[in-house]
Amino acid sequence: MTILKMQKEIRILMILGMIFTFGISLFFVLKPNHQVDFATQVKPILNKHCISCHGGVKKNAGFSVLFESEALGVTESGKPAIIRGSASKSELIQRLHHSDPELRMPYQKPALSDEEIKILTDWIDQGAKWGTHWAYLPVEKTALPEGATVFKENDFINNPIDRFIAARMQEKNLLPNTPSPKNIIARRLAFDITGLPPDPNLFQSFVSGEINYENYVDSLFMDSAFGEKWASWWLDLARYADTMGFEKDPGRTIWHYRDWVIKALNRDLPYDQFTIEQLAGDLLPDPSVDQLIATAFHRNTMNNDEGGTDDEEYRVAAVIDRVNTTFDVWQSTTMSCVQCHGHPYDPFKHKEYYNVMAFFNNTSDEDIPDESPNLIDYKPEESKKINSVLEWVSTHGDVKKQKLFKDFIFFKEPNYAAHHFKVIDHAFVSGPNFGLRKGGAVFIKNVNPLGHQKLYLKYVGHSNRSSLVFRKNGINGEIIGKFKISKKGKNFYGDPQGQIITSIDISKETEAFDLYVQLETQDDTVKREHVKVHWIAFMPELPGKGKLGYEYVSNNLDKVLNLRGDLTPVIFENPDHMKRKTHVFDRGNWMVKMEEVQPGGPQMLNPWKERWENNRLGFAQWLVDEKNPLTSRTLVNRVWHQIFGKGLVSTLEDMGTMADPPSHPGLLDWLSYEMMHSMNWSLKTLIKKMVMSATYRQSSMVSQEKLAVDANNTFYARGPRLRLTAEEIRDQALYVSGLLSDKMYGPGVMPPQPDGIWEHKYLGNLWKTSEGEDRYRRGIYTYLKRTSPYPSMITFDAGSREICLVKRSPTNTPLQALVTMNDPVYLEAAMNLAKAHQDQESKTAIIEMYQKATYRKADEDKLQSLLSLYEEAHSAFEKDPDQLDDFFGMDQLTDIKTASLAIIANAIMNLDEFLTHG
Amino acid sequence: MDKINKLLAEQRALEAQFNSRRHFLKDCTLGLGGLALGSFLNSCSNGSPKIPAYTADRSLNPMAAMPAPYLPKVKSVIYLHMVGAPSQLELFDYKPELAKLHNKPCPPSLLDSKKFAFIQGVPNMLGPQATFKQQGETGNWVSNHLPHFKKIIDEVAFLKAVHTDQFNHGPAQMLMHTGSPRNGRPSIGSWVTYGLGSENNNLPGFVVLTSGGTPDAGKSVWGSGFLPSVYQGVQCRSKGDPVLYLKDPKGVSRNLKKKVLESINDINLKEYQKFGDPEVLTRINQYEMAYRMQVSVPKVMDIDKEPDDIKEMYGVQPGKEAFANNCLLARKMVEQGVRFVQLYDWGWDSHGASPGEALDSGFLRKCKETDRPIAALILDLKQRGLLDETLIVWGGEFGRTPMWENRLGIQNSPGRDHQGDAFTMWMAGGGIKKGAVHGKTDEIGYSGIEGRVSVHDIQATILHLLGFDHEQFTYDFQGRPFRLTDVEGNVINEILA
Repeated sequence: MTILKMQKEIRILMILGMIFTFGISLFFVLKPNHQVDFATQVKPILNKHCISCHGGVKKNAGFSVLFESEALGVTESGKPAIIRGSASKSELIQRLHHSDPELRMPYQKPALSDEEIKILTDWIDQGAKWGTHWAYLPVEKTALPEGATVFKENDFINNPIDRFIAARMQEKNLLPNTPSPKNIIARRLAFDITGLPPDPNLFQSFVSGEINYENYVDSLFMDSAFGEKWASWWLDLARYADTMGFEKDPGRTIWHYRDWVIKALNRDLPYDQFTIEQLAGDLLPDPSVDQLIATAFHRNTMNNDEGGTDDEEYRVAAVIDRVNTTFDVWQSTTMSCVQCHGHPYDPFKHKEYYNVMAFFNNTSDEDIPDESPNLIDYKPEESKKINSVLEWVSTHGDVKKQKLFKDFIFFKEPNYAAHHFKVIDHAFVSGPNFGLRKGGAVFIKNVNPLGHQKLYLKYVGHSNRSSLVFRKNGINGEIIGKFKISKKGKNFYGDPQGQIITSIDISKETEAFDLYVQLETQDDTVKREHVKVHWIAFMPELPGKGKLGYEYVSNNLDKVLNLRGDLTPVIFENPDHMKRKTHVFDRGNWMVKMEEVQPGGPQMLNPWKERWENNRLGFAQWLVDEKNPLTSRTLVNRVWHQIFGKGLVSTLEDMGTMADPPSHPGLLDWLSYEMMHSMNWSLKTLIKKMVMSATYRQSSMVSQEKLAVDANNTFYARGPRLRLTAEEIRDQALYVSGLLSDKMYGPGVMPPQPDGIWEHKYLGNLWKTSEGEDRYRRGIYTYLKRTSPYPSMITFDAGSREICLVKRSPTNTPLQALVTMNDPVYLEAAMNLAKAHQDQESKTAIIEMYQKATYRKADEDKLQSLLSLYEEAHSAFEKDPDQLDDFFGMDQLTDIKTASLAIIANAIMNLDEFLTHG
Repeated sequence: MDKINKLLAEQRALEAQFNSRRHFLKDCTLGLGGLALGSFLNSCSNGSPKIPAYTADRSLNPMAAMPAPYLPKVKSVIYLHMVGAPSQLELFDYKPELAKLHNKPCPPSLLDSKKFAFIQGVPNMLGPQATFKQQGETGNWVSNHLPHFKKIIDEVAFLKAVHTDQFNHGPAQMLMHTGSPRNGRPSIGSWVTYGLGSENNNLPGFVVLTSGGTPDAGKSVWGSGFLPSVYQGVQCRSKGDPVLYLKDPKGVSRNLKKKVLESINDINLKEYQKFGDPEVLTRINQYEMAYRMQVSVPKVMDIDKEPDDIKEMYGVQPGKEAFANNCLLARKMVEQGVRFVQLYDWGWDSHGASPGEALDSGFLRKCKETDRPIAALILDLKQRGLLDETLIVWGGEFGRTPMWENRLGIQNSPGRDHQGDAFTMWMAGGGIKKGAVHGKTDEIGYSGIEGRVSVHDIQATILHLLGFDHEQFTYDFQGRPFRLTDVEGNVINEILA
């Protein structure tokens, strides 16, 4: 039979099959009195055919099928398009049949099928009952399905997850695989929980039966490697990186946040609290340093310091990113669509985007090169000094003052940054400062000292004979204070922490006014600017003046304001008098502001509770409220994806009406409900629940028959067999070769990478290969430069962390093979593994290396393959011993046997059983 | 290896069968027409077409060549990006009126509601720092700084009124190459290799060659954004390994490497026979490709073996990182079926704040470094019959002001600030109307007054020539279909043959 003919027959068979299926479904659809379901039957048709012209973006003829009120409301024609109970009178149905192509809908597109028209007709005749998309309904307690006994007989039902899985398998006439062998499941578990191969002793106790499965799992959860493994997942979402992102992509020190994530995961901080601290830790009552560090979650946005860029443009861009990321991370909702217009197919209104934005739009970061506000990592003796000031203020001042001083010491906020000033003459505003030359003046509109009589400024001085004069409401206005400049401080770009913070006394001003700053000088020696100012701020005087110890504390205050140390960008909320207004942007364009809006959550989702404050903290509480339909479902779906390689809803990023329906809706809801209730938002408990299931424990072997029925393993009739992640592949090579360091935390490290990767015209090559154990740290600690990430990680699908990444798409490419075969990191690992076995007889060495790397005993045929490779290598080196001078680039002579073993080790580290988790 | 190939073929057939059936059932139950029409972009799924029909080949080799959905005019693209934004006023946009205003204060009307990167207060105007002549049969204008350009001027279609809304390097480069000024979207080369794959699987499908340094926006300009990382640009370097980790380790001969690879693949095949996971077969395939790539990449990167007259024609500098070398490499690569070759030449940011970036110094050097190789590239492609199936694009990320830049209020060497309102780009090759001039700027080259085209229009046109409708070529990410051209872009028909 020719191929063509065969294809033809297949096609005919398929069409016959189709007609049959179609007939069956028609029977079901057409059978009388069938109640049409809006969410599963009607909404997909509307989304597919109607909504692009009659939805959130376009609302042609004044008709939209997005919201119930719009669909049933009066259109431009003056009457509704849908008349409840009467399809024949409904314009919507008439238009589907119309003979005039200009009037027949969808316009200039193929007509709807009879089946679709029938569904819509019945739906309207039955009263056009509107419904809610499943993912917007609250999560309810779900009953467990009763599965067929065959699953129990096969010993498949281990926990409730398996009941749901079995029920679907049964529908498809599938049977589960047998459980994985102990060594395989032990390795799979270790990677899924700790991201590393199992500790050989722990592995042995499990395989020998000394400890049971659950004890083994619990031991893995106890390992602090857990936090390091799962932090990778979270940091992709948080778009964590060690650089600012744009243009020169300079470094930023935000690793304290990465460490916070690792610690939070390890102590199993409940997910609701985990959420609240990251989104609004600063607004919690008397927040701890930890809770402030957590807010760096939203300081992972990019910062643009390219000369000539508009700080406000990039501040707004960062706020927009925060809104989008928040919805990507917690709600599986594509809020970014709503930035420019109403959501095309999900029930979110254009304005609602800006209601949410209003929660995030009042933070004091403004795309300034020093990324202020920053939290300084103070040394213990410095903390003592700070406390002496804070205690003084609490003794001598009120609660309000305490907060003012605490905020000012910690954040140097609130302040008015240089870029808000405008040039009058002989001055410039550029980058982080304004500079004044002889005769120079600048002004800023609308500042309010609130009666505070200290004016602080951060500056660098280039003259000893000049002064700054501060005037009110005009260049000749009333003088409120004067500051004598002295040559002090360092230029910003040489040293962003090198400027001086100091204060002067000013007159008491309680109303807002325009502040003019003028340079007064007799000094002709300075050609360029006499002074550069970064910001000014107003503070009350230190209370308790005249009391014993005042001078000492006042002195301490000056000192602590000028302390330096590692900075972590954090979130700080502007005080009321400096609050920003939030407007709707016309089509998402930040330059075109429309109506002003107030903070608020999207109407479609859970209601707002009275007790929540109308700020970011309230918003975070709204997000983790048990009535929020999306937070728990999103989390469960994504954790499931981490464990099983795909989501229960396969569109991991979206649960909206265009999302794929869940493969196991009952399971998704059961887990989501239990997560919020019986599991108390414990991530470890959730993961444990999944890995304790028989579903997870199945062997990943697959027969051709099963593959044909369920290629994507939608029904979980076999265990997952996932390729390890970028970090895991590297960590594993280091681990099995004995090189991996278990040092935790701290600044990003720079393991060897090829020369010339980090080339930047202005920055030069700044990759300084780490020394000592820092060369061998886990991948999570590798310095991540957004515009040039560590090459081998990128090759294995890690992201560049410029924006929130919900899902890495695993690829399989020749460049990956080049990494594991030739990257010096892997060569060093292979060499180290070989060296550990160089004293053994070669066959034993190969057997043990294979076993150490893969946690399996080598099959005889595989062993043969490795042995003959060993012989090949051995004889090659014998013939040409010069090869061994600088073998693997190790800068030393290697003996024939070790080199041959290193070849084997290198081959082992390229095997599928090494690169996947079984 | 025969056995492996046989298995691979079987697997491919099985998956093809499976995928077409799945596609048929999943996406087409309501519209039988879609399947017969075939075009993957027009298949019956709504709004955001998936790429179903060829997933079979793609699962084995994500770079497998795929037919374009519409009839393509070209097979490959060579994109010459002059990083820093070359001045249109000294190269192609002849403005005699501007000469009359030289060193006179800028009229305030030109400064109203304009934002500049560095100009402050009232700058002076700067007359053209070049002389211009009409060249070729078409009589199009070109400056004296590009003496070789006359040889190719009749092959080229000019866009004289390109505009962009970004006037800082990083964002403008991102916009030019990814369709968005913010980082995170795939670059045009990634889109193209995702859509078309590559004709030669022993070379990367999307190659990046740089001279002078990395673009301001960093490697993100050739990143794959939300597309799978396999579609990102592969930088082929003049120093060190041409492709990262390409070279075998010291002490491992080619022959031994072959044995290593055979052993890996042999064991992986046994693993496949045990576990049945088709992904193992893909891995075997990738390892074979890697092995072949180790030979073919250094071969294509070796310009020494080119005949002397060719080397002379381009003016190559063997052993160095040079734009001329990169032009010759670009030709070699498209000859070998590489889909998208992206050249970046750094150093065109002619502010005048220092001699290196002044119009009377550093700028002239850049002209000299690029003029001859660009002419050679086009003539060489032509003599090989490749010009008709290759698209060459030339441009920067924005244009330059007719004003003399006065950074921090001080006028230095002749130089111009950034401007996005009008600048020149050109295209040549398959499907391009030879000698066309589209668009016109005002008398001082400050704004387009006719035939304005946007960055998205440029992208739409490139995609069009490769056989895509830019509005239909989408990728679903975070629940929404994304396009290279975002929600804009029109094909520039005026420069199409």
